[in-house]
Amino acid sequence: MGMTYIPSTLGEALLLRAETGAHPLAGGSDLMVQSKRGIALAPEFPFPVMIITGLDELKGITLLDDGSVEIGALTTPAEIASSSVVPWHVREAASGMGAIALRNSATIGGNIGNASPKGDLPQPLILLDAEVVLISVHGERRMLLDDFILGSKKTALGDDEIIKSVVIPKHDFSYLFYRKIGMRRANAISKLSLSAAAVVKDDEIIDFRAASGAAGPKVIRSREAEAILKGHMREEIPALMDTFLEAWNNAISPHAMPLYRRNTTKRMLAYFLSAIHEGKEEGIIREDS
Amino acid sequence: MPHTAIDDKVVRVDALVKARGEARYVSDMSFPDMQYAYMIRSSIPRGTIDSIRIPELPEGYWFISAKDIPEEGKNELWMIQKDWKCFAEGDVKYVGETIGLLVGPDRNMLSYLRDKIEIRYTEAEAAITIDEGLAVKGGPIVGEDNVMCSLFVEKGRPMEEVFREADSVFEETIETGFQEHVHLETNGAIITIEDGKYTFYASAQCPFYIRKAVAGLLGLQPEDIVVKQTTTGGAFGGKEHFPDVLCGPLLVAEHKIRKPIKLIFDREEDMLYSVKRHPAKVTYRTALDKDGNILGIDGVVVYNCGPYLSGSFVVLQRGVFHANGVYDIPNTHVKGIGIATNTFPSDAFRGFGAPQTLYAIETHMEHIAKKFGYDPAEYKSRYFIKQGGETITNGHIVEKVVLPEMMKQVVDASDYFRKSKEYAPGSGKGIGISFYNHGGAFTGNGEQAIIKAHARLVKTGEKVRIEVGSTEMGQGFQTSLRKIAAAALGISIDDVSYDNPDTSVVPDSGPTAASRSTMIVGRLIERCAEEMKERWEEGDFSVEKEYEHPEGHPWDQNTFRGDAYLGYGWGCCIVEVEVDKLTREVKVTGIWSSHDIGKAIDELIVHGQVNGGIVQSLGYASMEKMENRNGHFRQSSMSDYVIPTSMEFPKQEWFLVDNPYEWGPFGAKGMGELVFNGADAAYIDAVERALGTEIHRIPMPPEDLEEVLRNA
Repeated sequence: MGMTYIPSTLGEALLLRAETGAHPLAGGSDLMVQSKRGIALAPEFPFPVMIITGLDELKGITLLDDGSVEIGALTTPAEIASSSVVPWHVREAASGMGAIALRNSATIGGNIGNASPKGDLPQPLILLDAEVVLISVHGERRMLLDDFILGSKKTALGDDEIIKSVVIPKHDFSYLFYRKIGMRRANAISKLSLSAAAVVKDDEIIDFRAASGAAGPKVIRSREAEAILKGHMREEIPALMDTFLEAWNNAISPHAMPLYRRNTTKRMLAYFLSAIHEGKEEGIIREDS
Repeated sequence: MPHTAIDDKVVRVDALVKARGEARYVSDMSFPDMQYAYMIRSSIPRGTIDSIRIPELPEGYWFISAKDIPEEGKNELWMIQKDWKCFAEGDVKYVGETIGLLVGPDRNMLSYLRDKIEIRYTEAEAAITIDEGLAVKGGPIVGEDNVMCSLFVEKGRPMEEVFREADSVFEETIETGFQEHVHLETNGAIITIEDGKYTFYASAQCPFYIRKAVAGLLGLQPEDIVVKQTTTGGAFGGKEHFPDVLCGPLLVAEHKIRKPIKLIFDREEDMLYSVKRHPAKVTYRTALDKDGNILGIDGVVVYNCGPYLSGSFVVLQRGVFHANGVYDIPNTHVKGIGIATNTFPSDAFRGFGAPQTLYAIETHMEHIAKKFGYDPAEYKSRYFIKQGGETITNGHIVEKVVLPEMMKQVVDASDYFRKSKEYAPGSGKGIGISFYNHGGAFTGNGEQAIIKAHARLVKTGEKVRIEVGSTEMGQGFQTSLRKIAAAALGISIDDVSYDNPDTSVVPDSGPTAASRSTMIVGRLIERCAEEMKERWEEGDFSVEKEYEHPEGHPWDQNTFRGDAYLGYGWGCCIVEVEVDKLTREVKVTGIWSSHDIGKAIDELIVHGQVNGGIVQSLGYASMEKMENRNGHFRQSSMSDYVIPTSMEFPKQEWFLVDNPYEWGPFGAKGMGELVFNGADAAYIDAVERALGTEIHRIPMPPEDLEEVLRNA
């Protein structure tokens, strides 16, 4: 059983992290559940823990000069969902996380650091090529979130580092798509999720990207599959569709419910691509019923 | 204070304290020098216990097991039979079977000690599913063939004759899964000694059941034990017999330790190690003429009981008695089998065996209708049973059946027939309909022969106290019963009190189960009130009444022939859906229901029951998936076993019909279970139409729909 610390400044937290290896605990919505011991007993962690909930240095959302958005690690999904500067995909994911209470206590840093394949926020962040800023007593480093998350529950976080913030580069997509399929409509863990986005100029697909959540050990993006579409014209989509869908299907590796996750992913991607091909009005593509 | 009339809208008497968090549940209670208990359970589904290694226990800590049962006691819990042991002895038959109770003053220490207990087993091959139970996988668990209980009922002519006349025979098997109760409050109990008597404080539906179940462990009589029901945060049948499984070990522990001991399950324990609804496999072979008219139905109903009987035979009987739904089928033969397996024992759950067969018969009738090109509503309505019609048990329907009027209400409100025609199979849109009933109270003459319920009213000055063994568990009975007493006495509901029962004070009114409380105990209280009103000026006195069975309703419990129930609640439900073409997610866009419950004692409470029962049934059909792998339940939390939230389904449109019941208070019949019994079938009917496919099992989450469509 580890010690529990409560640092009052970021500097103190970094020192503690370096000296004791204490794991940061922010909202507690993952750690407290993972280490629960039953009624009327405090959770016991197999490692030292520092409660960083009070560190204001790690809170808030900032629009940077280059148009990118920096979200502090301790920012809650509720704050992200209601921000006007956070990109749409991320707001959608944040607004569908857990229940209201969880959205007010969980943090973006925790959701990334926990690295669950079913986590809601990594999926759109990886779609958008977001970077994670890591900080330690030795300074800061940045890396793509896609590189930071190594697999299910595995990250590249150094023993002395904590997550400081996430930086989302500016994008100007012509078409956007997001779906989370939960076990029910509210307060549900993701069964499957998909983000997709495209930039189309003069009928040319300048950019196309997608990210699948809960369909493998980590969020899946396949740049090879995306390349099948990039640089092609809108009218070529039907001809490229099967090749692209097959490539995406090969990229994902759902453990449970494989038939459902594969078929649903295919249908959603095909729907999004068809909307682009048909020249639908630019913006968010939603299924019309 | 103004007099309360039966049709007044009243605020639920328990609403404020519960909404404010002021209600005290068993988990909130504590006593001086109170000890805590942790249950030590089997981790394998079947085998023998080779050794139990207990770490050295600090002073004041105890490990209680079968060896602590005194000589004068027997290691058995007396539910309906005495087969369920208090503590496993020698062998184990399911994952979660009680092996011991770890007791001591500090939960932290108990938690460490619990992790250090080592139990070694020699594991045997387990039978988990109905098919494995029937195949006697791993050798018999019960008897020679695993048949724990069985019965058959027949009506009309012999089946061979009927099937010889058939133009075609349609056979199908319909399956339903486990369902977990997910009562908001988990199971829990405290035992102590008060005035020299073993006294339980328990979250329970049936305080008198606990006394009877555990007394024999110490060679005592039920009267030697006191049970005080604590405010109970939901039960749904999960606290009918199951509290016995907590209270038995507590009593044995108390016999040794003689200090207050508290045992509370956390949510994970409550989900993994508690009773569930019986999974079912129902096969119908139906003889049809060339136009699709039913000549006869030959049915086999199999319920997965687990290794101990608990309430399973009664659950199975109710399943069989509801196996022809609300229909007058001329010739029927239905066999029921309760099969033993190595799952956690299945037991009572709202509907008590009826939902499984009602779901099956509704789906079967709908499949026949579609095969012959009839609208399911129209086809089913041809077979509605009527007053005086012969039931599956050769008895007769006593009351007027108003299903045609109820059907008209929901069909009109939902515009059913237009939508039924317009929504093409596979179009993504569908509408479905179901009809159902629920026999009120105990089967046959059980109220007379087994329970003989008593109820009492005590007058002190201008105030009246209700004394019954019936419990409030969230269903609203404290409000309903106080309202019945007040309205019958012509006084205010505020002048009537009704506390959680204490078995040393109140008479035994029978279990709070079987939709019998309003119908049976409510009527007893109404009768007490009628006499008390006559004698009001006599000062302080009490009136106690015993149940009286209406004359002229024969029942033979050995052959299962006669009037299985004295009155039924009736229901009709329509569900409309849209299925997402990309994700197979089902969106319910409309719910309409009509129920005949005789008379609503309190319309607000009835509205709550209708809303809740239908939502629970829709959860059962759509998302509540409890899987069992080699005896272990796979869903252990409220995030992997999901029940519907208020976001899931739209506002319901609901109707009641006025059809007063002769022997109920103010004309009321039972209704708590009825409202669970049919929305599942209407939902699946609608989903089948939206997808243009046939479904043969529930639950049906999107990934299962994907499989159904692949295999279609």
